[in-house]
Amino acid sequence: MVTVSFNNVWKDYGGGALAVKELNMNIKDGEFVSLLGPSGCGKSTSLRMLAGLEHISSGEIVFGDKIVNTLPPKDRDIAMVFENYALYPHKTIFDNIANPLKQAKIPADEIKRRVIDVAKLLEIEQLLERRPQELSGGQKQRTAIGRAIVRQPQVFLFDEPIAHLDAKLRARMRSELKHLQHKLGVTTIYVTHDQLEALTMADRIAVMNDGVLQQFDTPQEVYQNPANSWVATFVGEPGMSLMEMEMTRMDGDLALAFENKTIKLDLKNKARLTAAGKTKLLVGIRPDKASVSQLEIPGAFECQIYSRQLLGADVLVEVEFGTSRVRAKADTSFVGAVGAVCHLIFRSEDMYFFDAEDGKAIPHQC
Amino acid sequence: MASREIISYDKGVAIKLLKWISPVFLGFYLIWALLPLFIMFMASFKDLLDAFSVPDAGDWAGVTMFFDFSPTFTHYVALFTENNFGVYLLNSLFASIGSAIIAVTLGSMCAYSLSRSEFRGKKDLLFWIISTRMAPIVAVIVPLYAIFRSADLVGTLPGLILAYTTFNLPFAIWMLKGFFDGIPYAIEEAAQVDGKNRFQAFLMILPLAAPGIGAFVILCILFAWNDFLFSTIIGSGGAKTLPVATKELVQPQNIDWGKIMAAGIVTTAPMIPLGLLVRRYLVAGLTMGAVKD
Repeated sequence: MVTVSFNNVWKDYGGGALAVKELNMNIKDGEFVSLLGPSGCGKSTSLRMLAGLEHISSGEIVFGDKIVNTLPPKDRDIAMVFENYALYPHKTIFDNIANPLKQAKIPADEIKRRVIDVAKLLEIEQLLERRPQELSGGQKQRTAIGRAIVRQPQVFLFDEPIAHLDAKLRARMRSELKHLQHKLGVTTIYVTHDQLEALTMADRIAVMNDGVLQQFDTPQEVYQNPANSWVATFVGEPGMSLMEMEMTRMDGDLALAFENKTIKLDLKNKARLTAAGKTKLLVGIRPDKASVSQLEIPGAFECQIYSRQLLGADVLVEVEFGTSRVRAKADTSFVGAVGAVCHLIFRSEDMYFFDAEDGKAIPHQC
Repeated sequence: MASREIISYDKGVAIKLLKWISPVFLGFYLIWALLPLFIMFMASFKDLLDAFSVPDAGDWAGVTMFFDFSPTFTHYVALFTENNFGVYLLNSLFASIGSAIIAVTLGSMCAYSLSRSEFRGKKDLLFWIISTRMAPIVAVIVPLYAIFRSADLVGTLPGLILAYTTFNLPFAIWMLKGFFDGIPYAIEEAAQVDGKNRFQAFLMILPLAAPGIGAFVILCILFAWNDFLFSTIIGSGGAKTLPVATKELVQPQNIDWGKIMAAGIVTTAPMIPLGLLVRRYLVAGLTMGAVKD
């Protein structure tokens, strides 16, 4: 139970391969932080640097008030769950879970008690005499988690711990892990490429791309106020659609020009865009804030249906007009087929604005 | 996991024929391989007269004569009392086991570090290591003799062990590197996170490499045990081993067949159970790491 900080951390694999660039992050005591990003974004490397399994090229990692840069993993008081479980194949499940306790020279009867407690919690107590190769993926996974939670470390490190489970088990493990972390109150860093895991479990999400931390905020903020266009399209299922628009004037008023059409702005956004003073913009719209209709509606864009996917409760329709493609959610009663003409509509209050040059979000006017 | 069922397809005539021929061939092969051993075994218990007795007529009735003798242990007794075979047996054991232990200890450490670390010139280093094994022994034995001679190692057991190790070590490094490559590094990382230091983490995965290491110990022992050339030239005199001692039983004027047969049994016998014991691991060892699972 400790605070964890990255202070200007870089990771250079040599040959110009920079895995992590200038990472700065302060994680609070007992916080559940998720490192989210696509594969190869440097999230696992960051976690491995925290664990002491990877050398830090420059900068420092601090636990509490102690710089741990050159501390070997065994002296960091961490517990880690690996993506590929990394169980000891020649040891029984009991010995696998007991290993960290044996290492800490805890008396045998207490080891036994604690291993059985953990096994009960994870519902693997009937498997304790087996070896890893006799277990299913989910059971192996729970063993790996058991090995981590059997002692009370300062920090939990999870590297995509439930990525290989089937969807149903994954959903259950999500809530179990969250509950467990809440109960133990241990600072937790959780690496995942699955935004649903990050959004549902984390107190704060650190979104990474290409070795750079894009945004570090609560799930709510990351979803509602993405820091840049990349975060906007990455977070959300499906992500935001982006359209290139230009500032223009209509009847002497500020408006947006888009595909030979002009979009009127509400007062708030007008003030915001005037203050920003940018002419080229990327405008984002979440699929559930856009709607399509076969009827002609004033102010709607005429477009063609590019694809339609049934999501169960509703239909995800991707429409195309000019060079832009926008996703919108429609009611299951929407019958438009691929290639058919339809009309897209969204409100100007629901639009997100990003600078077309650097992708940064246009700040709100308070 | 893929099914292990064996699917039987329609077979041509040639395949059907092969199905009949192969057991016959294997039968002949078995006789060819085992008969000399069997004759050697029988002959080691016969006195000279019995060993060379031939039936009058060359028909199958005479086969019983082969088994018609009174067993004697004189050859074995003579080997150990007159010919010092006890000493040679110990020399063979010390030389082969000693070199195997040294090769495996040094080899596993070297193989481990080559498997786990990346550095410039690693491939070249690996090739250089195995290249010492590419030259035929005859080609290096003369310079090796000169070196051993100047180091006063000729005719000594440590000298012989060293000679075997020079040949076993490169082989050990290459084979054991394959085993360590097959063990995921994540297991050691997990051990380190669990509170072990780097060396303890290495000890943690050692049991996983045990089949390979075991198989390799046997290969080293077999190589040294069967060796004749090093033993005659480097070990001659003070560190004579069984193959050399057996060869010396062949004298120009008198070939002592009984003793030679007994010596053959003494030389072969210890290796047979060893071979049977590790047969499984030997195959596992040689193919381990060949297929990624």
